[in-house]
This record gives sequence, structure tokens and C-alpha cells, in this order.
Amino acid sequence: MAETGRLKAPASAGGWSALPLKRRVLLLRVAIIVTLVVVWEAVAASGLLFRDVVPSLVSVGKAMVSILTVADHKVQLFGAEHVIPDFYRHLWVTIGEVMTGLAIGGFAGLTVGLLLGANPFLSAAFERFLYYLGPAPKIIFFPLMIMWFGVGPGSKVAMGTISCFFPVVLSAASGVRQIDKVLIRVGRSFRVNTWQMVTKIYLPAMRQPIINGVRLGLGVAVIGTLLAETKLSNQGIGFLIINSYTTFDMPRMYALLMLLFVVSIAANALVGRASRA
Amino acid sequence: MSAEPLLVVDNIVKRFETPEGTLTAVEGISFNVAPGEFVAVIGPSGCGKSTLFNIIGGLLDEYEGQVSVAGETLRGPHPSIGMIFQEESTFPWRTVIDNVAFPLEIAGMAKAERLEKARHFVELVGLDGFERRYPSELSGGMRQRVSMARTLASQPKILLMDEPFAALDEQTRLLLGDKVLQIQQDLKQTTLLITHNLTEAVQLSDRILVMTYRPGRTKRMVEIKLPRPRSSEIVGSDAFGHYVAQIWSDLREEASKGLKDDEARRGGARRA
Amino acid sequence: MTTGAATRRRLVWQQLVPIAFGVACLIAVIALLEVLIRAGVINRFIVPTPLDIAGSFGRLIREEHVGERFLLTCYEALGASLLLTVFGIAFGVLLHRLRLVRLATETWIAAMASAPLVLMYPLFLVIFGRSALTIIMMGFVSALPPVILKTLEGLSSTRPVLINVGRSFKLTPSQLYWKILFPSALPTIFVGVRLGMIFALINIVGVEFLINFGGLGQLVNELSERYDLPGTYAAICFVILVSVVFFVVTERIEKWLRPGA
Repeated sequence: MAETGRLKAPASAGGWSALPLKRRVLLLRVAIIVTLVVVWEAVAASGLLFRDVVPSLVSVGKAMVSILTVADHKVQLFGAEHVIPDFYRHLWVTIGEVMTGLAIGGFAGLTVGLLLGANPFLSAAFERFLYYLGPAPKIIFFPLMIMWFGVGPGSKVAMGTISCFFPVVLSAASGVRQIDKVLIRVGRSFRVNTWQMVTKIYLPAMRQPIINGVRLGLGVAVIGTLLAETKLSNQGIGFLIINSYTTFDMPRMYALLMLLFVVSIAANALVGRASRA
Repeated sequence: MSAEPLLVVDNIVKRFETPEGTLTAVEGISFNVAPGEFVAVIGPSGCGKSTLFNIIGGLLDEYEGQVSVAGETLRGPHPSIGMIFQEESTFPWRTVIDNVAFPLEIAGMAKAERLEKARHFVELVGLDGFERRYPSELSGGMRQRVSMARTLASQPKILLMDEPFAALDEQTRLLLGDKVLQIQQDLKQTTLLITHNLTEAVQLSDRILVMTYRPGRTKRMVEIKLPRPRSSEIVGSDAFGHYVAQIWSDLREEASKGLKDDEARRGGARRA
Repeated sequence: MTTGAATRRRLVWQQLVPIAFGVACLIAVIALLEVLIRAGVINRFIVPTPLDIAGSFGRLIREEHVGERFLLTCYEALGASLLLTVFGIAFGVLLHRLRLVRLATETWIAAMASAPLVLMYPLFLVIFGRSALTIIMMGFVSALPPVILKTLEGLSSTRPVLINVGRSFKLTPSQLYWKILFPSALPTIFVGVRLGMIFALINIVGVEFLINFGGLGQLVNELSERYDLPGTYAAICFVILVSVVFFVVTERIEKWLRPGA
């Protein structure tokens, strides 16, 4: 077993390299953020791009606070009438659409994926189609979704569904194939029925590929649903974003985009945390 | 017999800091290698021979003692030392001939000239006809031969090898051992071989340094007085068996120390 | 010996049968649709008959300048891919060299890779206007993170023994980079570039559709707003065809770039 070392650099007298690594990383991150903020404000104040294309971060901050806290929408909750910021209603709608799409597309993808993975003939017949359809942009199917499911949430859920179906089905199919064959033989030797085989052997053995597929599916479902909302909708975060574009309320658009990114990154991190649990 | 040793290893001590405390890998290793000599260093797992390999190769520093090549103290990898590693080390993106020509390319040799030279070394290791192949098309043994040819192409004064045949089966080993013998005899290549394989060590070397288990010290230096030129046929001879038996009893003693140490550590960890 | 030939023939047959079955199923579904729509079971104003759709292809090519649109989309995809490759690899190399910057920013880039960056298209519309530049920039930005990350991954996962070979031959740091680290990382880097190019194409066509500007994506949008149903379906088929071809071509290139893998 070869141990390889490094020829150490001469230790400098002190200063920067004397700080522990974590501290240095933190300082650099702060420095990067500060630089970005300064550059942003400079561009905003300079008037280089025309009015408000890059608004001052202060106005973006104000818009964000207003979105999150100004109560301007009546809602029926737990039997009484409350007034909450409109943003949360739209967020709720979007989350509902995404979750529903993920559930349907995920479930369908998992079922079809299990079938394809377990049956080499079906896999050879059909998996190629799904593999090559995967990278096609799904948003162009949106006009069809509107025709089939109407202009309401149905078409958005449909978008989310077809977006996430493909990554899930492909992950599930390859997930089944990578199961150690001996585990399947163990199941057969105990004469388990199909349902038991799937729930007690296939699924637990496929945990990692499924989680990866769901993670990817979540990402594309969010994109598909939100884009659909920007195209044709009167509710949802996507709608709010395109609405701020048409009313040229740029601080609001920036605020919404930032909130969107924070939420989606957090959701992804949560799934990632759960996958490691 | 030339007087000046080419490689002088003088009282090497290397310690590592680990979470469990200071680990002394090697302690007080000293030996010389004369020009044209083939010396093997043998020891049980954990005796620090790979550490020694990396120190002499200039890949490790912060040790006590000194290594000198032709009178020059070592400061990083020495241009006169050619290393052959245990792991798979051919460049998968280069053909055999381009792999072997690599050191010549680095040295700035013109293309036609270096390909010509490289071809010579490809032939030397017996891979003529495979120049345009990629390593992925070759067997493990053939790939190690490519690595060997590549190092030989840089014409090092000292060839330093770390268990180059570890990943190969016994028969391939013996045959490659033959190849190495033949090359070493043809080129009068000064060689230092680190190995745990006793048969290999006795087959190839003029002298064998037997190391103790950690901390690695010199247990014994054995002179192998088998006639040269040799071939793998020698493995069956009586003299061969005699050397193997002699060194084996040393090795066994050190190896069992290693085994006991291992068990103690694992048992202790469980109890802790 | 006939057994060898017979075995080979059997294997080829074994491979062809499922594929033929799959294709046959597809044709059967299309035929079924044709029947059901004609019978009125499926509303023909929601799903036009497959024959009508097929008939629209010719019309589209003649009247809707499909060729030009295809070229425009290609040009946008090429522009985005070029930017991706240059900046993605450059940043990846930079981050690999500067360890501290890498430690500070790698998780941020990974986070961006999972964020719905394409939702910024209204913002890009404002900044760059309704133009091909918006589309190119959108494709570039949304696909950049995976290229950077894969480049970083490729460079960092160079086998230590190869680096040691370089050190034993006393390579300068620059030589080490160009002759060992980079060639070793190239397969992974190309995987990243390919991934980026695919994301870029998806987002480019998507944004063309959404902002009603550009090549093929815009065609789908326009036809749907005109309620030209067969045309819309045909245009969608076109886009799928283009994306499949693109995917296959990049797959072939990837295989060709890895002779030693």
C-alpha cells in the first residue's frame, strides 16, 4: 500500500495562512457576497441599464418584506376568516400542483420502471423510447395539456407529471437491474408473491436509485409546473413572476425569484438529507 | 567491481502522526546499492517498505536521515531514479508507444526520434506489435510491462520498483520475472525492488534486505549467491530452496508479530 | 461450423424481436387512435387523427419555414454550447487550482445546479429584450453549473498513482496539468459538457415557446395560438425528432472520445 505525501510549502510567517481553514473559507464567502452586493448597487445606481432593470437591493428587500408580510388576501381557515399575504396563497397553489404532479408522475414512473426493469423483453422493446424521449423539452406539450385538462391547475399538474415521469421511470428501471440477483433468488426460495416481492425486496433494495430519481423528478417537476404557470395561469408563483414582468415591477420580480430559489434549494437539500438518513 | 555505491540510504527514520499517536514506520534503515546490483527489500505487510519506496523515490519528505544518489542528497524525486508503481499506472488515453515515449516527450525530444527510441523499449519488454494499442486492450501483465518500458525509456541510473507484479497471477509473475532478469542483465540496470514475495526476491536479486515488522528495521541482509545469468528455471533448484527456507523463517517471525498486533488492535477496539 | 453461425443468428434474432415488438406496439397504438378518433370516441378537435398530423408535416415545411427555424434553434444552441464549454471548463479548472475558492463556492454551485434557473427568463427578457441573445443567455446560464461541477469532479478524481508517475518524472506543475490531469479528466468533462448541452437545448426550445420568439419552440407556440391542431402536434413531433437526433449524436461523440474507456 503506497502512502503518498506532499512536499510541504514553507510555512509563512503568519497572517492569512495562519488562520484555520474554516475561518478562511468563511471570510472568503463573506468577501464574495460583499463584492457582489457592492457591484450590484453600483450598477443599480449608475443608470447603465435602463431604469429599474437592476433595482437597488434596498427596494428588492422592501418588496420581499411586503410580499411576505403585507396581508392583503382574505382566506377561510379553520372556520374563521383571516387575512394573509397573497403570496402564501399562490405558494400553496404551486406546492399543491407540484406535489400532485410528483405523486402521479412518480407513482406511474415507479410502476412502469419496476415492470421494465424486471422484464428484459419489455425493457428491450420500450425502454429505448423513454430513454430518448427523456431529454425532449416537455413545456412544448403544454398546449396539449391545456386542451386536455383545461386552463386551471389540471394542466399544470399534467405538466409536472410528464416532466417527472421520465427521470423516475429510467431510474427505477435501472434500479431494478442493479439489485443483487441473489436477493431475488432468496425471495423466490421463500415463495413470496409478487406484491411481497416488490414491497419487501425490490423497493428496499432500490432505495438509493429511487431517491436519486425522485430528487431529479422533483427538480424537473418544479420547473415544468412553474413554467406552465408563467405561460397561462392566474395563480401560483409562476403567475406572480410573469405578472411582475407585465407590470414591470422589477423589485418584486427579483424578490420572487430569490424566494423561489431559496425554497427550491431548501426542498432539494431536505430530500438530500432524507436520502442519507 | 566498481567501488562507489550508486544509492546510499543512511539511517532513515520516518514517523507519522495519527489520531492514535505517533507511528514509527521505519527506523534506522541503512544500506547501499552498488552500480549494476539488484537489491530486494522484503518484509511482512506493515513493515514500512512502501514508506521506504516513497522516501527513496522522493515522494515523501520530513524524515530523518538521508538518501543520496551518486553522491547527491535527495531533494524531491531524483531525475536518475525511475519509479515503477504497484498500481495500474499506464495513461489510458495514450497508446502503448505514446505511453513509453512519455518521458522522452517531456525531455523535449523530437517526435521521430522519441518514437524510434520508444519502439526499442517496447521491443525490450516484448510488446512489439502492440505499439498502436490502448492500455484497455491489454492484459494486466502487459500493462505493467508498458509501465516498465516507460520508466526504462527515461534510462534511469536506478530503477525503483514497488511490488510491480502484485496484481498478477503466479505464472505471469514468474515469466515477467524472467523478463526483468533479462532486461536487468542486458542493461546492467541498478535495481531496488520492494516486495513481499519471497520467490520473486530470491529469483531476481543479488542481495536481500529483510525488514522487521513495524517499526521497520533491518533484520538481516542476505547475499544471494545464485549464478548469473539466471532464468525462472532456477526456482526449482536446491540452492534456491535453501535461500527461501532461510529467509522464510525470518519473515514468518515478523509476519506473526504483525498478525498478533493486528488481533490485539481489533480485540482492543471491540472491548473499548 | 454451423453452430457458431446458428448461435449468432439466434442472438441477432433475440435482439431484434423485442425492438420489432416495441415498434409494432407503437404502430398499433397510432392505428387505434386513428380508428377511435374517426369513430368519434375521441374528440377530433382535441386530438387530430394521426393521418392529419402526418399530412401537416409537408405543409409546415413549405409554409412555416421549418428549415430556417431549425437553423435558428441550432444557432442558439450552438451559441449557448460554446459559452458553456468555454466558461464551464475554465471555471472548473480555476476552482480546481484555487482550493480555497473551491471550498467556498462548490456547494453554492451545486445548489444552483438544482435550482430552477430557467424561471429567470422574464428577467432576461427585460435585460436583453425579445431576441436570440436572451435565449442563448438563458440556455447558457441554466446549464452552466453541471459543466463546472463535472469538470471539477473529473480533475479531482485523477488517480493518485498517475499524479505520482508525473512527479517521479519531475513534471512541472503546468506539465502535470496538461499532460496528466486534463487528459485523465477529459471523459468526465465531456459528460458534463454533454449534460450541459442537453439542458441548454431543452431550455432554449422551452424559452422560445414561452416568449414566442425564435425557431422551433416558437413554431409550436404560434401554431397552438392559431388553433392549428394538426400543425401543433406535427410541430411537437418535429421538436422531439430534433432533440432525439441531438441526444444520439452527442452520445456517439462521447463514445468516440473515450477510446480507452
